[in-house]
Amino acid sequence: MDQPIVQIRELSKVYQHGDIEVVALNGISLDIGRGEFVALMGPSGSGKSTLLHIIAGIDRPSNGRCVVEGTDVGDLSETELAAWRKQHVGFVFQTFNLIPVLTAFENVELPLLLTGLSARERRDHVEAALELVGLADRMRHLPRQLSGGQEQRVAIARALVTDPTLLVADEPTGNLDAHSAADVLALLQTLNRDAGKTVVMVTHDPKAAAHARRMVHLEKGELLNGG
Amino acid sequence: MTIPGFILRNALRNKRRLTLTVLSVALSLFLFTVLQTALRELSQPQLTEQSALRLIVRHKVSLANVLPSKYQSRIARVPGVKRVSRLTWFGGIYIDESNFFAQFGCDANALFDILTEVTTDPEQVAVFKREKTACMVGIKTMNRFGWKVGQKVTLRGTIYPATLELTIRGVYHGGIDETNLFFHHEYLDEATGWHVVGCYWIQAANADAVADVIQKVDAMFSSSAAETKTETERAFQLTFLSWFGNVKFLIGSICSVIVFTMMLVTASTMSMAIRERTREIAVLKALGYNGGQIFGLILAESFGLALVGGLIGCVGTWFLAQNVDMYVLSHGFFVKFEVTPHIVSAGLLIATAMGVVSCVAPAVASVRASVLDGLRELD
Repeated sequence: MDQPIVQIRELSKVYQHGDIEVVALNGISLDIGRGEFVALMGPSGSGKSTLLHIIAGIDRPSNGRCVVEGTDVGDLSETELAAWRKQHVGFVFQTFNLIPVLTAFENVELPLLLTGLSARERRDHVEAALELVGLADRMRHLPRQLSGGQEQRVAIARALVTDPTLLVADEPTGNLDAHSAADVLALLQTLNRDAGKTVVMVTHDPKAAAHARRMVHLEKGELLNGG
Repeated sequence: MTIPGFILRNALRNKRRLTLTVLSVALSLFLFTVLQTALRELSQPQLTEQSALRLIVRHKVSLANVLPSKYQSRIARVPGVKRVSRLTWFGGIYIDESNFFAQFGCDANALFDILTEVTTDPEQVAVFKREKTACMVGIKTMNRFGWKVGQKVTLRGTIYPATLELTIRGVYHGGIDETNLFFHHEYLDEATGWHVVGCYWIQAANADAVADVIQKVDAMFSSSAAETKTETERAFQLTFLSWFGNVKFLIGSICSVIVFTMMLVTASTMSMAIRERTREIAVLKALGYNGGQIFGLILAESFGLALVGGLIGCVGTWFLAQNVDMYVLSHGFFVKFEVTPHIVSAGLLIATAMGVVSCVAPAVASVRASVLDGLRELD
């Protein structure tokens, strides 16, 4: 494997709920190579989502290191972390999380508003992203005018539009019917295989995980079989 | 789409709430600017070059106390006094008490030489001077009652035991007050037999003489039974305000309540709007929007909402002042009702400041909330 894009060393995450400490991750070490499609699997409470959140820079480790593209995300301030996410991470949520008052085009354009791109450049990027996910003909539709599968594909386009280093997906098929789930997984697979995107996906569904090139199992905050 | 476009979409997502909030702010600003305009009209009578030369001599104790008529000739001899006229508030009732307007007994020969800002027909003034029961009336009062020149007007005295049968011989226009009725003081003297004067109206020879005249007139009567208080016309007008109690405090209090209510309404709206969007704000953060950018989006929305409400309120007040005769509407209480740029600016400044202040707490809370907490809120 080339220099890993994600290097995790002795990573722990402990949540404090009053007097009670909940260990979500316990001394995890893991490498993810550039261009990999990794599925993080495990039962509920295994720590897979926590691990994904730390990799994506929306949560911080209690101990250990999480280095993505040479940057230890635990060392960044909130503002630096936001800028880092904008550049390096594309996020796909289980519940799509599109802005209901914006069209598909505008939802995809949202991350680009923070960049210095001109309106024409933004439009080109958005159209390319929507074309890639097969929704070029649904650009002017509001989320409520789209099916669940289409909404998730818009969310994937939004995650892709800034050309991030990592595409992270948290249960991306959890709210979809089998047909739409298959479409979304196929799309993620295509993005990984044909566009070379590194994808890290959390799922508890073995069928979904089967689309990944590698599966990493977690249980009680630890990797099974060393990942 | 642009950032302002995104803010606008967010603001418009709940149109009913937006409309009600904007109307609340607009109504508050309308009341605020109306009250401020009213306060200005009551407390800041306009000062003209001519009015700066005019002085009022009244009883030192109060306006309710009268002065002897023999003071007039002594005042006229004071150096720096160009003209002097008696000026007595009659306080009569025309038909019934709701038809309030000011009526003054005066020296007909001196009146329009002292009250130089007004425009009159010289022929009408000449007739007014000749005829003891004649009166001159301001155009607003003429219009208010639909009076015509030549018409007879009966005023039933409330302070003085007399009923005056007056004939309108002329109309005056302009000046700071187009509502007064002026009649011959001699007619009042004959009707009552009292020969007393409410106050004296002095025209000083020039601006330099004003201070000297004030000092000399008051000194002249300092040991008499009816001591005087001489003051500029403007200072005299301001004393009227004190008749209504501490109006400034009262209006100030009402304005404070209005501003506070406006802040609560806006804060409530923004809190609800932000709470509804907890997950969306978390998503924006996950997409790379930082705390300052999120704060800016919320602030701009609140600011814009308050500004639009404020503009509507101010335009409403301006429309009222332009299209409604406040003299008639207020039954003669407000002679003018001028919404100044200063009042509009103050109103808009307060509206926008309230828009900013009211969103700070919810905006800070949403900036501080972690992305995960925001996402979990609805997942």
